Amino acid sequence: MNAISSIGQPAAFDPRRYRADFPLLARQVHGKPLVYFDNANTAQKPQAVIDAVSRYYSKYNANVARAVHTLGEEATTAYEAVRDKLARFVNAPSRDEIVFTGGTTQAINTVAYSFALPRLKPGDEILVTTMEHHANIVPWQLVCARTGAKLKVAPITASGELIVERFVELLTPQVKLACVVHVSNVLGTINPVRELARACRGRGIPLLVDGSQAAPHLPIDVQALGCDFYALTGHKLYGPTGTGMLWARREWLEEMPPFFGGGEMIRTVSFDGTTFADPPHKFEAGTPNIAGFIGLGAALDYVEAIGRGAISAYEHELLDYATAALRGIPGLRLFGEAADKAAVLSFLIDGIHAHDLATLLDHEGVAVRSGHHCAHPLMQFFGVPATARASLAFYNTRDEVDRFVDAIGRVRKLLG
Amino acid sequence: MDATALYTQCVLDHQRAPRNFGRLEGHTHAADGANPLCGDSLRMELACVDGRIAALRFDGAACAVATATASMLGEMAVGRSIEQIGELEARFSALVNGVVGRDDVLADLNAMSALAKHPSRRKCALLAFATLRAALAGSRSATTEGNS
Repeated sequence: MNAISSIGQPAAFDPRRYRADFPLLARQVHGKPLVYFDNANTAQKPQAVIDAVSRYYSKYNANVARAVHTLGEEATTAYEAVRDKLARFVNAPSRDEIVFTGGTTQAINTVAYSFALPRLKPGDEILVTTMEHHANIVPWQLVCARTGAKLKVAPITASGELIVERFVELLTPQVKLACVVHVSNVLGTINPVRELARACRGRGIPLLVDGSQAAPHLPIDVQALGCDFYALTGHKLYGPTGTGMLWARREWLEEMPPFFGGGEMIRTVSFDGTTFADPPHKFEAGTPNIAGFIGLGAALDYVEAIGRGAISAYEHELLDYATAALRGIPGLRLFGEAADKAAVLSFLIDGIHAHDLATLLDHEGVAVRSGHHCAHPLMQFFGVPATARASLAFYNTRDEVDRFVDAIGRVRKLLG
Repeated sequence: MDATALYTQCVLDHQRAPRNFGRLEGHTHAADGANPLCGDSLRMELACVDGRIAALRFDGAACAVATATASMLGEMAVGRSIEQIGELEARFSALVNGVVGRDDVLADLNAMSALAKHPSRRKCALLAFATLRAALAGSRSATTEGNS
């Protein structure tokens, strides 16, 4: 929690207070202090998360939901508590609407195979946007290939904003599902999900929101957003990899047949037939990533203790600082200049390939991503093969932005 | 930038002023190499006479490692047969994988020995070889990226 100063105002957000919680941030790369600007790829983990995983394995490792012994009870209690935490984290009406998944990709595929595949027919359509991650494109292409449905794409502007009027116009009666990213992993654009959901609901079209990149940056309230499905991943949220969540309205979860079959998801099994457990367990076959989810629970506690409003406000301030600094670099082109955006900066420098830039920045201790960021159609839209991307988190500092900008200056001197 | 053994003057020189850059009119063989994950693309056009490369041009948009390798390889390829290019590729592969530290046969290509410490960038350098091999074999396209 932020300390309250003597005049009753929250103390200024000081990222250095939190950096010490992340052991990895203390390491050096190529003899330089690490500047970790690849948070949109995966975030670093606080000690609390590492400890929670370690404590599970060293103190109460057992399978969940089947053992009556003490270890099994302890593991199940800790694991199921994370469902409550996630329900609070996204303000779901019920914990039973939280399906544990291996990440966003699995969450979206669950909707593709359990919701879309059985419902869609030839002539039906699925609407996505130009700025989707491959995880919110490819599952729908697979569904289209098997059902004869068609994928439609809502366009964006040159500054990387969804053209809302076009999106709404494209919500024709043939559209049986709309899918939109909450925050673009390449552009940082925050999409007006409430407005989009209102338009979808008015036409009886279910809306899926890919919240992978939004969850670390914004408070999420699925009820206020008004969507039907919300997917997120744990590892971008300072939790372990292999964890994630699908939230869906209860009526959909009840209607959807299971996607994976196996243990954990059944009520009774005989060779004459099987009855399934109620949602969410019907979608959770097999032994899950118990340690990972317990770690995710610790990550949610950690983030909530700092406060998502405070994180969001500080990151926004850091984004403004970094944006101004990058704009001052000659020959640098920014991709994604939406009015409402999260702390993601995609860019290219004239005459320098993104990969060379990333390799040389790495030698300066600065970790950025280069490539297509799993968004080929978006790269095609901008007419570039790849970009470099700096993505910031609340533990990053202005000093790190300065070092990043200085390092770019040295790369330009070398390759320019 | 002392740690950047990869971006030597030799590499930067080939990147800034690539040799044999452009298109080859009347080429007998051609192939497009692409690494979509990286965003690298190279096109190689060759004229082969009696089983040997008589002329070669390449162009495309690629990173310094891919461009410099293509430029260095182009200089060495002329006059060589398919078999000799294959042998060169095997030697180059051993170099970038750190099996050998230097190979005099590879001339300027030795600049890429630093790739032994950059496994993720080896595919950039290997793209020029794969594209040349594809052109010689009569296939239209090449990549050094796995599926993704």
